Amino acid sequence: MRAKILYDLLKKTDRVAVSNITGREASKVSIDSQAYCNNIVGGWALGKGGQKITCGKGDDIPVFANCADLMKGLTPEKHPNKIVVYSPPQAVYGDVKEAITYSAGQIETIFVITEHVSVEVTAKIHNLAEAAGIDIIGCNTLGIINVHDRTRVGAVGGNEPDESFTPGSATIISNSGNMVNTIASYLASAGIGTSFGISTGKDTLILTPLANLLELAANDKNTKVVILYVEPGGLYEHEALELARSGGFTKPMVVYVAGGALEGKSVSLGHAGAVVEGGATSASAKAAAFDEYFGNEPLDIDKRYRKTAELVSFLKKGIRVRSLHYIPAATQLVFRMLGVERDTPVKRKMVLNPWFVNMRDWGKQIPSRLILTPGKAPEPWGGQFRRLIKSELGASPSRRTMKNLSHASSNDGETTRIHGRDLTELMAKRSFAEAVILYWTGEEATRDFEPKLVEMCLIAALTNGPGTISAQGAKLSASAGNSPNTAMISTLAAIGEFHGGNGKLAVKFLANIFRETSLLDPYDPNHGLDIGAMAMETARKFKNTKDARKEAGLDYERIPCLGHPVFSTKAVNYDPRERVISTCMSENGVYNVFLDFYHKLAAAMLEVGAANKVWAVNLDAAIATVWMGIAWPRLRDRSITFDRAADLAFLGFALGRVAGGAGEYLDHRDFGTPMDMRIGTKETTALTSPRPLEK
Amino acid sequence: MPVEIGELTFLEQLAEQFDIPVPEYLTADASRSEIRTALTRWGDKGIVKPDILCGKRGKAGEVAVVTTTAEAMKKLKLAATAEIKGRNARTAYLAQFVPSEQEVYTAITYDSRWLSPSFTISMTGGVDVEEIGDAKKKTIPIDIFKGLDAYQASDMLQSLGCPQKLISLLSRTFVSFWDMFITTGMRMAEINPWRITPDGKIYACDFKGVFDDSNYRFGEYGRNLPEYPEGKTELEEDMSEWDAASHRGQAHVADLGGKKVLPILFGGGASTIIIETLLEYGGDPIFLSDFGGNPPYDRMYGTIERCLKHKLADASLLLILGGKANNTLIDITFQAIADALRDYCERNGPVQIPVVVGRGGPRLVQGMLTLRKALEDLKMPYVMFGPDTPITLVAEYAARLADIAGQKLSENNHNDETPTKQEQKI
Repeated sequence: MRAKILYDLLKKTDRVAVSNITGREASKVSIDSQAYCNNIVGGWALGKGGQKITCGKGDDIPVFANCADLMKGLTPEKHPNKIVVYSPPQAVYGDVKEAITYSAGQIETIFVITEHVSVEVTAKIHNLAEAAGIDIIGCNTLGIINVHDRTRVGAVGGNEPDESFTPGSATIISNSGNMVNTIASYLASAGIGTSFGISTGKDTLILTPLANLLELAANDKNTKVVILYVEPGGLYEHEALELARSGGFTKPMVVYVAGGALEGKSVSLGHAGAVVEGGATSASAKAAAFDEYFGNEPLDIDKRYRKTAELVSFLKKGIRVRSLHYIPAATQLVFRMLGVERDTPVKRKMVLNPWFVNMRDWGKQIPSRLILTPGKAPEPWGGQFRRLIKSELGASPSRRTMKNLSHASSNDGETTRIHGRDLTELMAKRSFAEAVILYWTGEEATRDFEPKLVEMCLIAALTNGPGTISAQGAKLSASAGNSPNTAMISTLAAIGEFHGGNGKLAVKFLANIFRETSLLDPYDPNHGLDIGAMAMETARKFKNTKDARKEAGLDYERIPCLGHPVFSTKAVNYDPRERVISTCMSENGVYNVFLDFYHKLAAAMLEVGAANKVWAVNLDAAIATVWMGIAWPRLRDRSITFDRAADLAFLGFALGRVAGGAGEYLDHRDFGTPMDMRIGTKETTALTSPRPLEK
Repeated sequence: MPVEIGELTFLEQLAEQFDIPVPEYLTADASRSEIRTALTRWGDKGIVKPDILCGKRGKAGEVAVVTTTAEAMKKLKLAATAEIKGRNARTAYLAQFVPSEQEVYTAITYDSRWLSPSFTISMTGGVDVEEIGDAKKKTIPIDIFKGLDAYQASDMLQSLGCPQKLISLLSRTFVSFWDMFITTGMRMAEINPWRITPDGKIYACDFKGVFDDSNYRFGEYGRNLPEYPEGKTELEEDMSEWDAASHRGQAHVADLGGKKVLPILFGGGASTIIIETLLEYGGDPIFLSDFGGNPPYDRMYGTIERCLKHKLADASLLLILGGKANNTLIDITFQAIADALRDYCERNGPVQIPVVVGRGGPRLVQGMLTLRKALEDLKMPYVMFGPDTPITLVAEYAARLADIAGQKLSENNHNDETPTKQEQKI
């Protein structure tokens, strides 16, 4: 081994380079590592030179075509002394060889993360590295973490290493990468922190054997106990015990050996032992070897251990546990008997703490000892749940490749379906508006009146006269001689945030106000909310912001969908199209909390002095509140995303208006003259004086 | 996963190519006259053996010395149906009997002591290597780049007291053995015994080998290997094909013959200890699984779809459990599990067995909420744990619950969908 202490394997000042860094896993883990410890100086990937991995936290990572380029491209003070290999199995030999060739004398350790590396290649890279005086961890390691230095290589700790690892006195050495993390979490709950967490890898050949790692841990001042997670295969543990017996390692070990219960079953477990090494590689043989070295039985969790000279002498060597969750208790016992202080206070007991329980009728059928009361998710998860459940509206679905997939429609060669509903049945039994609600939200309308209101919105959106810019879009296109589809695109192209798109802003505006409330049913007038007070508070906030920004000479954000350029001359103004929708609702006994809020807000704006009249709640607001009524229960039960809800209002307007644009196109095409929308040169005004070209 | 071969495949596909001397042989489909002719040529003595991926065929009484054609044909039929330790014969074969005064043991494998291949010889062949005392066998490391040379083999033979007249021939043949081992991408190969005839000829008289399927050299040999009636379950067959289809995320399943817990497990280490805990507390797991390795959505969906299709109807509890993932995105895996469960229920009707979930890792909260919503929609009873509860405690709880669930399922197989939702405190 080149390393003499664990610190030599990884420390704060190390500079890490990553092979195949643009790979899916390598890039993700590297970004997480930069956020945690910012120790990656560069990476390489064949054919990807010149790219950059952008990191939110920590330095961006330059990508080179190969290791040689990386060494040339980085300044000497950034030359790596650690290499992390994420290459595909076929490329591992080449990349390790390349790293050794081009950075000989500088590289101290290579961590091979790649799985499925052949044992032949593993033996070869061991041979190469040994000749070059370089240590290799792996293959198939998850990496290692130096908690006191808050630095890591590989993915130990996932994207939040601080969740599991607090600085302390245990070094975890595990054949399973996942168990490094899990054991650290268990220890942390018992007030025992981690010095180093090491995933050895679990292929047939483990290139830094346990005996070597124990020698390094023996010299680590922070390590007071070593926790071992051991799987069947290899003679590594027997060699390590020989080292301990010869005095080469004297710190206590707490050991869990997995795989004993599965012996005799024809399943493949752990790193495969070679046949010549024989039965000593089995889990039971390893467990027996540890027990023999410790001179004691495995931990009895129900036993009260009394301090005796004999027990202390046993525990100086360590103890084995039969269940993984006994590790903290065993480590605490070792500390108590040897007079070692815990690193931190005990955080929580190792008990069943269910975060969610709903046993339905099972709750009545099972013995009371198996009935669990829902517990509390500790931080940081509790906070994340609260934010997601209460504050965040809508679903957060996982993303995937959707190239050949659709939830919205299907066609199996016989039947076309919209969200699983037969299109021909929809044609026979549903209205267009009902089909649109299904297509856009994924579910049929939940209230009878919703399709009617959507249809009214579609009609209202058809037109507001030929002068609207969306109608002008269609007319311009017809005047140019375009086809009908181009004219409809022109209509849509003339819709934006200021014209037609205000409904989307209204949805966001309403969501910000209502997301923190307990509102579930937007059609229930007994919602328990003081809408008047909410409107007054919103109006006051608006006025304060408006006044402050005006005084500073800055523009301010308007309340969307309030006011209309035409319907604005009276003390109390209404948009007649909104009135029709509103009247229809009241005649049919339909209440909509969002529309109610808008009207109360219009009045409150006058009352607080933010407006000099009651502005009209315009059609965009009506459309937004209709679609928000449909969307709100779906947002609350997280069956649709918030982005979809915001788009619904915009699409509701666009769908109506594009049909209106078609009407303008047909009219213009039939009666207009070619290029009649052109503005004559005399009717335009130049705002720039004529100037000669510069040389 | 390692791929094993036995003596017959060695005889048919490897021995001649690598110049390893072997006895003559006939396969079970040989005609009466072919057998008669061969036996006559061999001095009326042959050995019938089953082609089975299992050692100790002789001790199991499945190897027979035959002297007549009729006897050979009868024994070939019997041997072709042999079963040893749950493994079944693929076929049987008749090999030439090799008279011998000396048997030699050899094996090549990768050795954890030297982190390189190693070569073992004993002049006490024909027995298990573990039965040979240390003084009677010798193992040396082999330089992976240089390979085994005849001088190394010769030194070993010398030190083991091999008769001088055999050293040269054996040493050269052992180099051929190494050549086969390294050229075909094996991780272990054992020829035991080499039988040495009184006139000094040597024959490799039994073989077992394990290929490393991660070794690219294995590819061309692996494609031609025979299939054994391994008694794999349909799920194992299905999953083994599915696992081989991609390296992105593991899809390992090994049937344990259990009847209670259907375990969807993540992480090699976690899977092992969860299964051990289930076994200890009566959870009777249906199989051992490891579905970690950050599988993408489609991979995870396909894996779960197969597990549910083959085994959910037999299970009394669905366990979804893993440690705190470092890499695997929990929202992706749980979304895929949720979708596979929904699709299963849509195709097969509602499922009433309890679901126990325990997991930690990146995007856990999103994943938990997605899975919870699916379980609510499907009206399945559930308990969900985070990484603050040890996986072994969750497994112990699941085992105890599965025991009750199994009893209730058999007693009460009706579908009552009335939810009794309990309060949740987050």
